[in-house]
Amino acid sequence: MNRRLFLQSTSAAAIAQSLPWRSAFAQEGWRTFETVTRVNVSDAFGVARAWVPLPLEADTNWQKAIGNSWSGNASQAQILHDGKYGVAMLYAEWPAREANPHIEVTSRFMTRDRAVDFARPDSALDLSAADRKFFTAPTELIPTDGIVRKTALQITKGAKTDVDKARAIYEWVVDNTFRDPKTRGCGVGDVKSLLESGNPGGKCADLNALYVGLARAVGVPARDVYGIRVAPSNHGYKSLGTGSPNVTKAQHCRAEFFARGFGWVPVDPADVRKVVLEEPPGNLAVKDEKVIAARKRLFGSWEMNWLAYNMGHDVKLPHASKAPRLPFLMYINAEADGELRDQLEPDSVKYAITAREISA
Amino acid sequence: MLRLVAALLLAASFAASAAELKPWPGGPTPALELDDMAGQTHRLADYRGKVVLVNFWATWCEPCRAEMPSMDGLRRSLQGKPFEVLAVNLAEPLSRIENFLGAVPLGFPLLRDRDGAVAKLWKARLLPASFLVGRDGRIRYVAYGELDWTSQPVRARVEELLSEQGPGQRRAGRDAPPPAQKARGARAVHSSGGDRRTGPG
Repeated sequence: MNRRLFLQSTSAAAIAQSLPWRSAFAQEGWRTFETVTRVNVSDAFGVARAWVPLPLEADTNWQKAIGNSWSGNASQAQILHDGKYGVAMLYAEWPAREANPHIEVTSRFMTRDRAVDFARPDSALDLSAADRKFFTAPTELIPTDGIVRKTALQITKGAKTDVDKARAIYEWVVDNTFRDPKTRGCGVGDVKSLLESGNPGGKCADLNALYVGLARAVGVPARDVYGIRVAPSNHGYKSLGTGSPNVTKAQHCRAEFFARGFGWVPVDPADVRKVVLEEPPGNLAVKDEKVIAARKRLFGSWEMNWLAYNMGHDVKLPHASKAPRLPFLMYINAEADGELRDQLEPDSVKYAITAREISA
Repeated sequence: MLRLVAALLLAASFAASAAELKPWPGGPTPALELDDMAGQTHRLADYRGKVVLVNFWATWCEPCRAEMPSMDGLRRSLQGKPFEVLAVNLAEPLSRIENFLGAVPLGFPLLRDRDGAVAKLWKARLLPASFLVGRDGRIRYVAYGELDWTSQPVRARVEELLSEQGPGQRRAGRDAPPPAQKARGARAVHSSGGDRRTGPG
């Protein structure tokens, strides 16, 4: 290679690398990851219990579960499922005499990046009437009537197809919400309250639940997908990946909508707002090229540096003494002496989650 | 005295595992057809007439590693009886399994479920997952978690299954047909069906 050609090619590479969301860095193959969750139910005097979310059991073309194992001093541990959505969790129980209840859960799974090609519909991709009904139904915190439906109808006025409606809602959520760093955890996803506030702000469980509610309200099947980030982003976004193997506070939920001909389509308007707020140097303008690139990509694609746990709402924890229905199961939950510990306080339950990629 | 202390320590270590053999709640026994590390195909159906311990494991699973010597101990103690262990590794490279075997030599076949499809058929989501298959080829007991396979309660279950007659057999037992010896190359095969830094958010 002569000097001129070399300079041309290296400068082209440098330009490519400076652009956000570099497609050249998309992972086409499967990657294997391991998460290790250590739970210690501290200060337990009576019977102690813990519920640990597990990787999505059903294989998809973007995630496959391999297996789970546990060690510790639980008197029983087994995989249980929530009845309505089939949310998988490891349930552990300790007798009252156990002074130091602890468990370590290891999960292995594979992921690969996911993108929908809107130029190539497949007429075979459709939902059954029952599934369509299920994924347009309201949940306790995601009503589909009242202010939610009214807002959704305004947003989607003139939109003909489900993709058009879903895109209109996506753009509206990005333009009309904000990421509130003061929100505890990922938020709870109280969609009606968010809209009634007139200035909806929160984190992923709020903003993506808002997306799901607005979509369902106009008959577009949609669902939240709850999970956790497990690796740095390969697309140059510090805010969209992990910074270390410690992912104890890296929970993140995303969303999907269903469109005939395209199947379940991945979206993540909450992460666009995260880029706006957190991508260095911070508080980026919506017109910043990094925001524009993320906004374009997060309608129809997910980088799979993230583990999906489940798609459940209103989850009832099996065997819980007082069994409140959780809006979703994305955190470790534990109870002792008949009281559910605060799932948003890792110190209350004392849990830590680490993640690593497994090389072949 | 030393033996008693050792036995107590062993019992205490397994007591922490919380696993126990439970009667199989029912449902068909999935098919199992996989290659071992040498590329030799093993089919569960070819072991009909023997009691078979089908164990799903991985090297990254601590309780799996811990219980394997006791599985081998059970196998050795039942030598001459129609009992076999088939340990199915879950989706790991050959080199990793070989490294494990270098540290923990085992006398039973290690089969490779390269894509985890057989484990999914058997619903082996929590490792180790162990299935005791009777001489009639049906799953009879299941355990999720680490077991001391040489303990008296576990051994009693195995003996109970050994005492049953195999299907249409006087030949069952040590005269039962051998496993398939047909090599199929290195590719694992299986059949399916029936008997077959930021904050959160």
